[in-house]
Amino acid sequence: MTEAPTLNLKIEFGGGLELLFDNKRSHRVALPPPPPSDTQAAPTDINYLIQWMKDNLLRERAELFIENGTVRPGILVLVNDTDWELEGEGEYELKEGDEVVFISTLHGG
Amino acid sequence: MPRKQRFDRSRTCVKCKVNLGNLVIRHAVYCKECFTPLIASRFRHAFEPHINLVPAGPRRGLLKPSGDLLIGFSGGLGSTVLLDLVHRTYIGRTFRKEVRGGKEHPRNDRVWTNIRVCYVDISDAFPEMENRTYSVQKAVETYEDFEFVLVRLQDAFDLRWWEKVSGNSSTLSSSLGIDLSSEDLLLSSTSPPDSTPVSAMRTYLTSLPTLTAIHSTISTLIRLLLLYTARSTRSSHVVLGTSLTSLSISLISSISQGGGFVVPQTVQEEWVPAHIEGHPESRAGKGVVRLLRPLREVGMKECTAWAWWNQLPIPGKQRIPVPRHTIGDLTKDFIVGLEKDYPSTVSTIAKTVGKLAPKGEAGRTCAMCELPAQSVVQEWKSRISIRSFTGLDPSGTDASNSLAPFLCYSCHTTLTSRSSRGTGLPKAGGIPALVAPPVWSQARLAQKDHADAQLGTNSLDGLQDRGPEIWETKSLKPDEMKAVVDEFIL
Repeated sequence: MTEAPTLNLKIEFGGGLELLFDNKRSHRVALPPPPPSDTQAAPTDINYLIQWMKDNLLRERAELFIENGTVRPGILVLVNDTDWELEGEGEYELKEGDEVVFISTLHGG
Repeated sequence: MPRKQRFDRSRTCVKCKVNLGNLVIRHAVYCKECFTPLIASRFRHAFEPHINLVPAGPRRGLLKPSGDLLIGFSGGLGSTVLLDLVHRTYIGRTFRKEVRGGKEHPRNDRVWTNIRVCYVDISDAFPEMENRTYSVQKAVETYEDFEFVLVRLQDAFDLRWWEKVSGNSSTLSSSLGIDLSSEDLLLSSTSPPDSTPVSAMRTYLTSLPTLTAIHSTISTLIRLLLLYTARSTRSSHVVLGTSLTSLSISLISSISQGGGFVVPQTVQEEWVPAHIEGHPESRAGKGVVRLLRPLREVGMKECTAWAWWNQLPIPGKQRIPVPRHTIGDLTKDFIVGLEKDYPSTVSTIAKTVGKLAPKGEAGRTCAMCELPAQSVVQEWKSRISIRSFTGLDPSGTDASNSLAPFLCYSCHTTLTSRSSRGTGLPKAGGIPALVAPPVWSQARLAQKDHADAQLGTNSLDGLQDRGPEIWETKSLKPDEMKAVVDEFIL
């Protein structure tokens, strides 16, 4: 079994979410492949990215970003400028050079 | 089980049917090119039919407002998007592009002579809040032709501000105090000892019985400050950036707090200033301020996408530094969670509630929130709650000095409904005996006193004639409770 390569991604934050990530709106990250499970290779999808971000990028108040293994309701996710709902949400398999944006919609009216 | 996809049919845009979609809006897919005109047309569709005094269709050539426009700007997402849409539609590139038939053609006149952006700074409400006026003002100044107006929350307790916006200094010669410790909200002509508007505001807010009451009172104060500012700047329309999601939250939250009677006004309001109330002018719509929510058909998700794709800077709305255990916060968590899985249901809430109308005519205007109120709140409360009549001496409560008959059910509940937990906030200067109400309430009460004095009657005589009826709370055993409600049980 060949190991999945490390992916270079661009991650951006908007709507105040950047405050949880060192107050930086744009991050370039090298996403390592997920550790393989016993039966099959784990996919490098957005669900994995979210977990990885929680462990490696998130600086404070994880409950404002993550809920039940995915992003909290009220956070819009765009993958290459397209709503992640069109791409299969957390199951979208990431590719080299992908741009993922997380924007909080909860900054008041 | 495979996850259900969140969009109907294919990934192609439902409008142009050519491009691949970029955003899913309530199960429909739109590309970026079609998204911009979609939002712009939803904004105009919700706003323009209400610009003329008498609705005359959505055509711009016919739009003739009776005054200027005031935009209520909180610094949050919705109001940032609203600011951008108003600028694009009535001042900026889109407006100039639509000019047809020569520069001087009346169709191409600007709809609004002046557009002002009013920001209500609430940073003095609690000592730990940060003042964001500078960043908000910078965000507004990125647009040409908008005039920035700053109002502070404490202005609601400032007699000098009241003189400025009402143009009438005589109505408030002496200030009033309310005793929030009793359900009757007894009034006293002895003014509370607060020396500045900021301390009067903090005393008022920290004296409120619940965290929910603090949130809803701040919203009411902001709404009235905007409306009085609109009146003083000769604005006929006030627009707020309440999105579809925020509207659903406010509707459910307002109904939960006893605001069922003003459901139509939560969506759209025609505010009649006290000085023209009942005049033939106001019945014809003159001097009336219309409060509209032009983003009421645009969800929070679309607002976010609009702000992101147009790179709009969002200064951020100020958060009130109290624990998030209010009815409003719980409703928000529920609706936002619901929107993730059932986006159409959130729209259904706003649309269904928008069709509701209260039973019966409004008897009067509430002295606190200036919204329509049922005739006698106490009488209505007596019909929905179990009361005991005893031979207790009613002289202990003097109804002629009570604020309760001048309030709507929601404001009365806000001021009197207590929680077993309390607010947990330190009271400014200990527990005050009296707190000063907002200036407009004082003016209304002074006006009524003046009218009563001229007629030689007391407006509360009607209430007093009802006999020695007073409230009493006593614990009942289950059998006794059943006996009381027995005749109502089917």
